[in-house]
Amino acid sequence: MSLSLLLTTAMDTLSVPTMAATTASATAAASAQCTPTSLTDLGHLLQVLGTFLGLSLFSLGGGNTLLSEYQHLSVHQFCWLTSSQFADLYALAEAAPGPSSMLVGLLGLGAAWPEGPWWALLSGYGAELAILLPSTLLMVLACLSWNRLKDSPWRIAFERGLGPITLGILFQVGIKILHTADTNAAGVMVSLVVCVLMLRTRLSPLWFMACAGVLGGLGVINR
Amino acid sequence: MNEQPPSHRELFVGMLQVALSAFGGGLSAWSQRIVVEQRGWLSNEEFLTGLTVARLFPGPNQINMAVYIGAAFRGLSGALVALAGMLLVPFSLLMLLGVAYFSFHTLPAVDRVLAGVVAAAAGMALSMGFKILDQYWKDPVALLLAAATFVAMEFFHLRLVPVVLIAGPLAMAWYWPRGSSSESQP
Repeated sequence: MSLSLLLTTAMDTLSVPTMAATTASATAAASAQCTPTSLTDLGHLLQVLGTFLGLSLFSLGGGNTLLSEYQHLSVHQFCWLTSSQFADLYALAEAAPGPSSMLVGLLGLGAAWPEGPWWALLSGYGAELAILLPSTLLMVLACLSWNRLKDSPWRIAFERGLGPITLGILFQVGIKILHTADTNAAGVMVSLVVCVLMLRTRLSPLWFMACAGVLGGLGVINR
Repeated sequence: MNEQPPSHRELFVGMLQVALSAFGGGLSAWSQRIVVEQRGWLSNEEFLTGLTVARLFPGPNQINMAVYIGAAFRGLSGALVALAGMLLVPFSLLMLLGVAYFSFHTLPAVDRVLAGVVAAAAGMALSMGFKILDQYWKDPVALLLAAATFVAMEFFHLRLVPVVLIAGPLAMAWYWPRGSSSESQP
């Protein structure tokens, strides 16, 4: 809380008038559209944990299938983030080392950010634990009974049946993220080029993000 | 193979090593190198079985793999220790990054760079479906199921949980293995 106040003051003194003003008014407009339900700190935390506990077992195909659901929950249902903040956090999670599913931690962090950085960190760690706990427990059960499960018709039907559904969800997620990114024509072009490069080359995606970041800094890509 | 299964401490350190080695990417390759080649905890075959299980069950693949390795030697507590080793450093770094983001993202310069990075990340998200499309190309029912799922979510705005709960059992019934030559579709 105090940190962000400090920064706002710092920004004012640095005087970046027009841009800062538009950002501020945009944020105000977004929060007017979508007002978070007023909760005590503990209530807010429990809301975050409960949401992610319930979604854990639906993270098919390595977890990316949940991205649309995360976007809906954090932007439209609970109003933790604006749409562009969600896109930013998704990009951060993709760029940072480690599994990209750690996005959930960032969402938890954002959900409690207005309550101060310490609450936010607690909420972030809690959200990540919550999304991982049920799937971890199921995974342990699966390991212990894998020999029996391996040739079971349930296993075969599950694997074959859920694959195509995962495929459909992933396409929808791709479109959703593209909408959420909401960049100008140059940005959409970059998205399409990156998509092709991801499929055709084995280059690290970090290069694509670095180059696109430079294009953004130069003002070629904006939103 | 070692005669003695790895202790909790060794599991934690091993997974920490995997996580730190993979900072530039390639988590799966690093985990195979360290777990199979360097430490000799699993045979290559056992490792590949683990990957199959990790991909099959809900949850992020690499995290499930850590759980598999931990659980194989030390049960539930081993799984939790391996998970902690895998996540502790990258996740804490990500949280620091998140705090920096929420503190600075209103600065115009930061916002401009992020707009570019977001465009690239959207391209990565867009590629996820195409990446697994190949394996379903020759199965019209699979493509139909995928299309129906897509349409239900994109145009009818159905949420993930009901979609999976309705389409999942239907698809499982269709793909239920029948007879000895279960490779052929019904």
